[in-house]
Amino acid sequence: MAEEPTPILKMENITKRFPGVLANDHANIEIYPGEVLALLGENGAGKSTLMNVLVGLYRPDEGDIFVRGEHVEIHSPSDAAALGIGMVHQNFMLVPTMTVAENIILGMDGLAFRPDLDKVARRIQEIAEHYNMNVDPYAYIWQLSVGEQQRVEILKLIYRGAEILILDEPTAVLTPQESHELANVLKVMTSEGKSAVFITHKMEEVMEFSHWVRVLRRGRVVDVKKTSETNPQELARLMVGREVLFRLEKEASEPGDVVLELQNVYADNEKGLPALQDVSFTIRQGEILGIAGVAGNGQRQLAEVITGLRKVTGGHIYIQGDEETNHSPLRMIKAGVSHIPADRIGMGAVGDMAVSDNLAMKGYREPPMADGGILHPQLILEFARKMIAAFRIATPSPATHIKFLSGGNIQKAILAREIDACKGLLVAVYPSRGLDVGATESVRKRLLEQRAQGRAVLLISEDLDELITIADRIAVLFEGRVMGIVDSHNADIDALGLMMAGVPKQEAIAETSG
Amino acid sequence: MQIIFEKRESVSRQAVILVPIVSFLVSLLFGAILLALSGANPFITYGAMFSGAFGTWNRFTETLVKAIPLMLTGLGVSIAFRMRFWNIGAEGQLTLGGVAAAGVALYLSQGLPGWLVLLLCILAGCIAGAIWAGVPAILKAYLKVDETLTTLMLNYVAILFSEQLYYVSWRAPGYNSGTAPFPETAWLPRIAGRAHIGLFFAIILAGILWFVFNRTRWGFELKIIGENQTAARYLGIDIERNIVLAILLSGAISGLAGASEVLGIARRLQQGLSVGYGYTAIIVAWMAQLNPIVILFVGILMAALLVGGDQIQMKMRLPAAVGLVLQGMILIPMLAGSIFTEYHIRIIRPQKTGVEAEA
Amino acid sequence: MKRKFWSVLSLVVILGLVLTGCGGGAAPDGGGSADEPYKVALVYIGPPGDLGWTYEHDRGRKAVEEKFGDTVETTYIENVEEGPDSARVMRQYAQEGYDMIFATSFGYMDHMYEVAQEFPDVKFEHCSGFKTLDNMATYFGRIYQPRYLSGIVAGKMTQNNNIGYVAAFPIPEVIRGINAFTLGVRSVNPDAEVHVVWTNTWYDPVIEREAAVALLDGGADIIAQHQDTTEPQKAAQERGAMSIGYDSDMRAFVGDTVLTSPIWNWGSYYINTIQAGKDGKWETHQFWGGLKEGVVELAEMSPKVPQDVRDLVAAAEKEILDGNDVFCGPITAQDGSVFVAEGQCMSDGDMLGMSVFVEGVVGTIPED
Repeated sequence: MAEEPTPILKMENITKRFPGVLANDHANIEIYPGEVLALLGENGAGKSTLMNVLVGLYRPDEGDIFVRGEHVEIHSPSDAAALGIGMVHQNFMLVPTMTVAENIILGMDGLAFRPDLDKVARRIQEIAEHYNMNVDPYAYIWQLSVGEQQRVEILKLIYRGAEILILDEPTAVLTPQESHELANVLKVMTSEGKSAVFITHKMEEVMEFSHWVRVLRRGRVVDVKKTSETNPQELARLMVGREVLFRLEKEASEPGDVVLELQNVYADNEKGLPALQDVSFTIRQGEILGIAGVAGNGQRQLAEVITGLRKVTGGHIYIQGDEETNHSPLRMIKAGVSHIPADRIGMGAVGDMAVSDNLAMKGYREPPMADGGILHPQLILEFARKMIAAFRIATPSPATHIKFLSGGNIQKAILAREIDACKGLLVAVYPSRGLDVGATESVRKRLLEQRAQGRAVLLISEDLDELITIADRIAVLFEGRVMGIVDSHNADIDALGLMMAGVPKQEAIAETSG
Repeated sequence: MQIIFEKRESVSRQAVILVPIVSFLVSLLFGAILLALSGANPFITYGAMFSGAFGTWNRFTETLVKAIPLMLTGLGVSIAFRMRFWNIGAEGQLTLGGVAAAGVALYLSQGLPGWLVLLLCILAGCIAGAIWAGVPAILKAYLKVDETLTTLMLNYVAILFSEQLYYVSWRAPGYNSGTAPFPETAWLPRIAGRAHIGLFFAIILAGILWFVFNRTRWGFELKIIGENQTAARYLGIDIERNIVLAILLSGAISGLAGASEVLGIARRLQQGLSVGYGYTAIIVAWMAQLNPIVILFVGILMAALLVGGDQIQMKMRLPAAVGLVLQGMILIPMLAGSIFTEYHIRIIRPQKTGVEAEA
Repeated sequence: MKRKFWSVLSLVVILGLVLTGCGGGAAPDGGGSADEPYKVALVYIGPPGDLGWTYEHDRGRKAVEEKFGDTVETTYIENVEEGPDSARVMRQYAQEGYDMIFATSFGYMDHMYEVAQEFPDVKFEHCSGFKTLDNMATYFGRIYQPRYLSGIVAGKMTQNNNIGYVAAFPIPEVIRGINAFTLGVRSVNPDAEVHVVWTNTWYDPVIEREAAVALLDGGADIIAQHQDTTEPQKAAQERGAMSIGYDSDMRAFVGDTVLTSPIWNWGSYYINTIQAGKDGKWETHQFWGGLKEGVVELAEMSPKVPQDVRDLVAAAEKEILDGNDVFCGPITAQDGSVFVAEGQCMSDGDMLGMSVFVEGVVGTIPED
């Protein structure tokens, strides 16, 4: 469909360096009117940096940008907006206490002192209907779901006349239904000659949304493919530069003694409402118990009660035979619990401290890293070097603040620390969420390694494939209750799906097998 | 040309040294403009200020006299700030430290050996400062009461309480507006001029704090709490207990500042103890980037600015207000300058590829 | 958290500025450059723009300049804390060859005493204290004498016999003033009472105003004071009440609601003392001058004061000048005991240590 000779947008030889990191290395992209271009790459491949250069948030060290054939300099988002380029960031730039209409015109040039908001609202309504987006212009942002907020961001760009939309991992925050609606919006837009750049690391989305795909690796564009002429396996190979094992080999393992036992555990959430109800299960040595469920059904609270971060309101927790109900996080750590939390930067790591410090945050209490309260920086550094090598953590140096690493490498560091400190039970919460294929694979391998070494693993995941691949048994949580526990080798995805929707195990199995 | 602030990957040693120096030069330039507008020759004024602070041995000792409480309170608040605990109550902690030391010196020193008197006075000062800081710390740690307000309000309580003591309850009989002089056993030995051994307290404490922050388990935990409390909790660190302990230490050091000021300088409790050291300490700590060793030097610099500032009136015959404005103008660029140690301005510049060695 | 830090910091900076206060706008001195002028420095507790205590000292300094011209060089430093800072300042003046240093607040006493011992060739003059050395003298004035006279004015002018008195610190100097004023009031109006409020500050416009307002709320129709600012006078004026000033002729700054003011007149003392210094005739002393010496006086009265009151004041002034001082018996103390027996007069020493109120004062002196 791209028969026109001049691309609407062309970026040539874009190079962007950050201290110790080459984020973009002579990257080229081209977009033609009416097309969606997918930028595919692992975390840290340079996709977001490239687009931030395009909208003027970063200045490239080298390279040129052409819009509609003309060489342009883009110094700020408003320069970009003037050229018809707009970006929807991962974190929305909306003011929660203002309405949709107010947010859409906020910061626009040439506004009247008192803009006619009703007129603005009517115009928004028109655009929204045109694209089949359901948005109330008078609603306050704080009243909207994340998906709706994203729609407001898109509307804002269209309202301001954007011809080229950049969407940075837009589906990460969307439900499948909302993702589908987004695809439809993009279809209508491209049918009118608008273009879009779609940043993602999910192959399925590339296939669903885009016309062309450019694969980035280590800041370089390594290949350009027409979407209709490629397939997910090929894209995955391009992305990581090697064949990915989508099926990991799970060795048989003999479960040993019970490591974790929950007996009729109850707990409340922050609002004081029941989050866990009558939860009971056990995990043995050399066993991975998967927890399946739609997010928000008590998974987080489950991890928190086991790691001491939340009090139970009823029931008992035993670790390696000892009662550890409602003990402090420190007691739980000492009892042998390691924890890979869902929130890597918020909880799992301290962004403004060195990678080496972050790696030492479990071991610093005891020799060899500490001796009677005195730390040994040299030994901490040695330990860090060992971990960086063993877990292939890509960092400029052990002294680099960890927040400068990509998400996957931060996760590897957390994994390294927790696995090294693990003395019995490893609680992993969404350990591969948001990671690219390579990092995901490495995380799953590590979990299986722990299983092979006789540790008990509690794996909370939304990804049924992941659970079936590496868990031995899968418990399904629905509204804080265990709907049933099934063996993964004969688990049926449909039955698990029914249980996740609140159907008890027996009924679900009967229904799917019948 | 576009200017972008980018957060530095790690605070470079170069920036730590260069930024304050450049900021200081900018400060002097700002001040020079003000002085020129007030009709004073900036070079002569700065010369007079420098000579007023460092010109003779005697003046240097006077600058030290002023620097000692600034160093100590600066060290005190820096501990709190590392925990993101905004202790602006150093003034009150210092005041109560002075009060407690005075109380022991005046009323509990009879019949005790000399060395014990001084030790008890200092100890009392530390404990009083610690208690005064501990109250907001406990309120913050266990009840989430905003420490900014509590520490600030307790300053007023402490200052008014001390006034009640030296104007009324502990006032020496007769025609006096302060307590009686302390017995000589409670005098803090002086090194030179009026500069007393509080200077050694500050130097030793700075060394200890540096070691604690960089080489101990507790310092490591404090750092984690300061950077990310959620992570600290997850890592099994007792946040409440550590906050309270750190703030007790913070208050104790400010209390020591008050005790050494009272025992080393005035040698009686009277007006002139609460003259704003606790507030200036915040500036000292921040300018020093909370680094205990740097705090010592910034403390001297700040003292020099205050002592040298007298010359604005004495030599240049300008009103006191000009001196205050000048001090403010010198401080603002220095504080603003700290942004450049954490961020750097991106402009296009050639750079070697590959990983550069960490400085 | 970062943002919070900055808001806290700005709060602190603002506080710092407020607490340190704004100095008065004194113009830089010319500083005559004749050959070897006699160099004099004054250390002020407040700014000369306070229109009160420091203003009067600075008026005295200006009188010196006018009198001696280029042969005497004067300088001053304002807003000096009564703490360690004051010693530093005095030491520097001494080191820089100043011949005579005046310190104008009681709290400077010990610091001046310390510095004076280091510089035997420099003459030190401390206002309101009691410590002397061979090169350190004290000077003060019997302000209680014009205070007594101002009490007569207040006693005659009050409508409801409720007079308020805003007082700085419970020290003998202030207590003496309150007693003298009350004796003046009761000499013409035995039913009137003087209500005292302590502020524990010499110079704090806000607190002084609040104290005056409290007295006015309590029904006072005349406000007298022992402070360094005109705030109590202004507060009284705003409530439609009369007042008695202090330090300087506050009527000039506030208006005719200030009936009169006991005032300082340092010019003659400064001129005489500096002359003695210049001539090499200075000797240590404890100067305590009164109406007779001209160091204190009663400012010109407001037009609101009728002639019969002026006559009463004139008669009382004459009596004091004739040697019948304020604190001559019989005087009854607040608790009804004998304060000064009939036929006796208080000694200077007793006056300097005065620590109880006379009859007619409502209020307490905080216990030591």
